[in-house]
Amino acid sequence: MHVIIATDGSQQSLRAARHFKSFADPAKITDVSVVAVVRPLAAVAFADDLSPQEKRRADLEAGGFRKAAESATEAIASVFEGWGPKVHQRIRSGSPANEIIKAAAQLQAGLVVVASGGRGISETVLVGSTAQRVQHYAPCPVLVVRPPRRTRRKK
Amino acid sequence: MAETTTEPTTDEADEGGLRRSITGKQLFFYTLGDVLGSGIYVLIGLVAAAVGGAFWIAFAVGVSIAAITGTAYAELVTKYPQAAGAALYVNKAFGNRVLTFLITVCFLSASFAASGALADGFASYFATLWEGPPALLVTLLFILALSIINFIGITESVVVNMVMAFIEIAGLVIVLVIGVWYIAEGNAEFATLTDFRSSEGTHPAVAILAGVAQSFFAMTGFENTANVAEETIEPHRNFPRSLVGGMITAGVIYVLVSMAAALTVDTETLAGSDAALLEVVEKGILPISTDVMSTLFSIIAMIAITNTTLVAVVTQPRILYGMANEDVVPGVFATIHPSRRSPWVGLLFSGAVVAALLVVGHVVPKVEGETLIGRLSLVTVLFLLFIYALVIIACLKLRGHDEDENTFHANTPLLLVGLAGNVAIFAWSVYDDPTALWWCGGLLAVGVALFLVEYVFGSRSRPSGVERGEPTVESRREI
Repeated sequence: MHVIIATDGSQQSLRAARHFKSFADPAKITDVSVVAVVRPLAAVAFADDLSPQEKRRADLEAGGFRKAAESATEAIASVFEGWGPKVHQRIRSGSPANEIIKAAAQLQAGLVVVASGGRGISETVLVGSTAQRVQHYAPCPVLVVRPPRRTRRKK
Repeated sequence: MAETTTEPTTDEADEGGLRRSITGKQLFFYTLGDVLGSGIYVLIGLVAAAVGGAFWIAFAVGVSIAAITGTAYAELVTKYPQAAGAALYVNKAFGNRVLTFLITVCFLSASFAASGALADGFASYFATLWEGPPALLVTLLFILALSIINFIGITESVVVNMVMAFIEIAGLVIVLVIGVWYIAEGNAEFATLTDFRSSEGTHPAVAILAGVAQSFFAMTGFENTANVAEETIEPHRNFPRSLVGGMITAGVIYVLVSMAAALTVDTETLAGSDAALLEVVEKGILPISTDVMSTLFSIIAMIAITNTTLVAVVTQPRILYGMANEDVVPGVFATIHPSRRSPWVGLLFSGAVVAALLVVGHVVPKVEGETLIGRLSLVTVLFLLFIYALVIIACLKLRGHDEDENTFHANTPLLLVGLAGNVAIFAWSVYDDPTALWWCGGLLAVGVALFLVEYVFGSRSRPSGVERGEPTVESRREI
């Protein structure tokens, strides 16, 4: 089975990758593709929250947003290092949900793993959540990893 | 057990090399839409006032200078395809941190001023549909709405971008059709096209220079194409073609539309109008209800202005994000919303600056006797001319560096002409209206203030031993 792990460079996408790894059986998975999508018309085309600060700055200076996307996929790919399945890193460009769905179709993926950023109204009210769109239109099962419930006392 | 590799693989095999997403055609319409929206809807009246019936010449000269500057951008983009624009080129050419910072802040300021001018242009068309709300309120709500749209991220569709460009062209085609109709009816007086209104001792060349300075806002916007440089397919081939092609197309449209406007509406009326092209439509030359036509036209104009303003609103937080990553503004501007992936602090701040500009701008003109839109567009133009001139110099200085067989080469004599043109318009604008410099100073002060805040409070976030903005080991190796 080919599994796609989508990353938008967020910590939550790293948590999603780890969560998937925590229960999946590497013997049944042939390939893991880490997919990052650069959004050329967005204010910040790709933000990498996963690499160390120093590397992020160097990436932006040397290679721009594409480099940031590469570093983020690298960070996610390293989660699966030595796990078993082949790990691929793919950078695509365009609208994240569309590109993830397209990648799933092209790679004949058996599962897509996406992170859902928030809970509550920001996700329900605002249109165009990537996780929602992937859930609705992906050609295969989708694992949506939601953030842990917030505790009362701490923001 | 399957073997483990973490080698990056690209998608070239899956999609026939299509791993970047912006095609040459999309880039062409991005350029065209961005350039067209910034001007003709807004400024034709002011230009007509400065030159007279021959104001199309000002548009022709202005767009030529801008297109030449565009070739310098195209050359630099093919060498350094990162989505960083002028600041990157100037940094590569001069390696001077102060100058790089200055250019970045100028670009940011230009973008703020442009948003303000465009919002005001939007309000003047809005008023033709519904006179109820005060213009200031309309402009503020406009900026607020665009910031929210940007936060959500629904601006990111290239298809929407193309559709908007088509609508803009449609609006201008309406004006052209009216012009052609008028000529066909035999009413046109072609002498108007060579009429210089300011005949009282002013040399036509000076009148044209004044007109170019007034109309130059209409030529700007193309510098934002550097935003998508990184994601353009085959940039070596597509970038020069689409950027310069888009500008030439915009130029042809501008010249034809100015001629049509000059022929159909007398110069006095154009000069006195806030939404000058609407005057052309309201002449009732076409056998279609004037009401329908002017409503349609106002809507088209508002869409055009929205398109260009959106690009500006996207650019501002992006610049702040880049600066925050270089530690020259507070790190809070690098904050990305965890789920929307938008730089919301930068967005909020940019919106606030533009709103402040609009509020100040509504009070000051009563003192200065200058319209808000005229003021803000001039401020934008001053900043951008400075940037354009430096980009051309950077382009010439970087000749022979980082080149390969694919690098696009801009024509050197043309670049020198373009440089002279940029300097001449800059000098004229400052001479003509020195008060604009105060506005420029005020906007620059915002950037400097951010730097000072970072300088005083931001040292904790930097690892010890690393100088502010100093390239790290990895990036130094690249250079």
